[in-house]
Amino acid sequence: MHLKSLSLGSIVFLMALGVAMITHGQQPPSTVYNPYPPGILPTDINSELARVLREVNFIEAEAIRQWHAIKPPVPTGNPPILKDTGVASVEILGKLMNFDKNISPFNNTACSSCHMPYAAFSGPIPSVNLTMIAYPGSEHFRAGKRTAQRYTYSSYFPPLQYNATQGAFFGGNFWDSRATGYLLRDPAAEQSQGPPVDPLEMGNPDTACITYKLSLAVYRPLFEEVWGKGSFAISFPPNTASICATPNGAAVFGGSATPVALSPEDRTKSNNVYDHWAQSLSAFEKSLSVSPFTSKFDAFLAGKYTLTAEEKAGYDLFRGKGNCNSCHLDGRSTAPAPTNLGAVDTGVAADVTPLFTCFGSANLGLPKNPRDSIYYETTPDSFGFTPNPAGFTYTDFGLGEFLRSGYATFASPNSSWTQFAPTSDGQMQTSTARDVALVPPQCTGGTDAPGPYFQKEFFHNGYIKSLKQLVHFYNTRDVYPFAVESGHCPAGTVEKVTCWPSPEVPQNMDMTVGKLGLTDAEENQIVAFLKTLNDGFTTPYPDINTYTGTCMTGGNASTQGNNTILSAEELRAGAGARSH
Amino acid sequence: MNGFLVRVVVTAAAVMLCLTSIVGQTNPYEATAELPPMSKAAHVHITQGPSLESTNSSSAIIRWTSNNPRGTDEHFGVVTYGTDPKNLTEIAKSHIRLNRNHPYTVFRVRVDGLQPRTTYYYTVDSMEGNGTRDGVKSPIRHFTTR
Repeated sequence: MHLKSLSLGSIVFLMALGVAMITHGQQPPSTVYNPYPPGILPTDINSELARVLREVNFIEAEAIRQWHAIKPPVPTGNPPILKDTGVASVEILGKLMNFDKNISPFNNTACSSCHMPYAAFSGPIPSVNLTMIAYPGSEHFRAGKRTAQRYTYSSYFPPLQYNATQGAFFGGNFWDSRATGYLLRDPAAEQSQGPPVDPLEMGNPDTACITYKLSLAVYRPLFEEVWGKGSFAISFPPNTASICATPNGAAVFGGSATPVALSPEDRTKSNNVYDHWAQSLSAFEKSLSVSPFTSKFDAFLAGKYTLTAEEKAGYDLFRGKGNCNSCHLDGRSTAPAPTNLGAVDTGVAADVTPLFTCFGSANLGLPKNPRDSIYYETTPDSFGFTPNPAGFTYTDFGLGEFLRSGYATFASPNSSWTQFAPTSDGQMQTSTARDVALVPPQCTGGTDAPGPYFQKEFFHNGYIKSLKQLVHFYNTRDVYPFAVESGHCPAGTVEKVTCWPSPEVPQNMDMTVGKLGLTDAEENQIVAFLKTLNDGFTTPYPDINTYTGTCMTGGNASTQGNNTILSAEELRAGAGARSH
Repeated sequence: MNGFLVRVVVTAAAVMLCLTSIVGQTNPYEATAELPPMSKAAHVHITQGPSLESTNSSSAIIRWTSNNPRGTDEHFGVVTYGTDPKNLTEIAKSHIRLNRNHPYTVFRVRVDGLQPRTTYYYTVDSMEGNGTRDGVKSPIRHFTTR
């Protein structure tokens, strides 16, 4: 019955598209989707997307050369081990996948399009980081709702678990931890299975499309060396190419999650290929190409680097008065007491893995960011897909939303977790602090004005635009609270300096932070310490030199990006005024 | 475009040298899951406060410092409050995370849903992530909303 319905769906789909519509390698008719009021979409979006695509292609070509430079692995013994070059093979396979734009419906978006190495594998376009915060998907300009999280050290997160002793969740990947790792036991692997079929990101309509495109990839021989010769022995229907060149959510699919009609056996094979896609990408993310432990801090731990006075002061604040290491665990066995900063640090060894995260989640009380592109995607695009019918009323409940199997997240694989949704609302993953400050080397001023700096975006909704602001938010959230939306701070205050708008989700606010009592100079010292967590100090960070855009200059870190703040009312009034 | 190509050529050699030398190597660290809780402190006593940190017409933040209660890293500050000092019926709790290396802990609790220009009485305690109370002995204090 299921097969019958699938076949019928395929026929309807073909009829709808028409015989002259799509052959493999061509793009379907599409008009640009731009439901955004003025000020949301950056003016340089097209040139910047093209710039990133050139960089992606360059690194992909490099990966192909690396693949050809290694000796093919030799299956040996039983269980079969890919002797000698097995590890290198799976890591390079993951890299080839990561920088492959042809995986997307319109052959224009790779995983790395939102995760480039010079930004610690997070968002590579300064103007997007400054404005719409979410990255355009393969169908321009659908966009998601959150910032692109860094890959670095994400593969060290354990599978999501509810720790009954602690009364809290730990592990998973994504801001809302929805990539639990429940099946592959690897959250980073399951993370990589999300964006390829997320209608607002790559937007493939079926996971079988990734299998299909891998079967056509130039690196298919490497995939088969690693995962088996019969991996692609799948009978794809003739309309597969046209289906896979149409973005997910298109009305023509009628809501089907599996529009590529495969036999049950072939569907299982395809699912296995998709798991191997995920595991290869996770191998790349965990490799020294992404997560290498080559920072000043690592050299410091090894006794091969002495922190400067500014860095040392920042570190003592990080684990003392700032209390940052209560969640961003630093692995040291001692710390100066908040009232005794001069205490001698006798800790020489790490007592926990220094990943600068506790793998947990917290609601930090970030204000809603009215620039987030998701609020304006309220009208259908040319494929009949409406990304966010709720518009501005949408609230991002993070982990709580996932535990309910709610809107725009994965289904939860464990119904016993649902009871914890109310106490998890608003919580987002505690990212590692490692590489938070990593930028292209030519942007010598780092992340913060006056630069030359590379504009990044921080936290899940990108409301924070500099590390100075990030530390200041932790320090003064409860010192300067105002019951207003962004863009409406009272006269005499300065948003992000002496005014913090209301939290998007007021319940479950974490109170470890909010009033730390740090001085302006102490905030700067913590920023200086955060820079010691950048990889690439002891060994050059791979591919960090691939940024071909420009660095920004001018202004100051405290108000960085404030000139782009728009009134929420103004934005709401403009929303819907434009259509595709 | 020419600049891009030049950069591509220049960086290609360096990147190739770098990457071909590191693929397949092993990272020096492996992750650990959440550590077991610390042994609980024998007594948890307040060293500063409790007192009002801030208030407005509908909410308040209560703050106090105690010795590090230890136990689970995930912790909550708990405020029991009401308008009758002899009948405190409402409870507010806020999450904090203990710092294992700090000798004492600052608790801050957000109390919402208050009435304007009203005096509230309160006591404080703290509890582990699983709900086990730390048994803090707290005086009754009061504050008035704006």
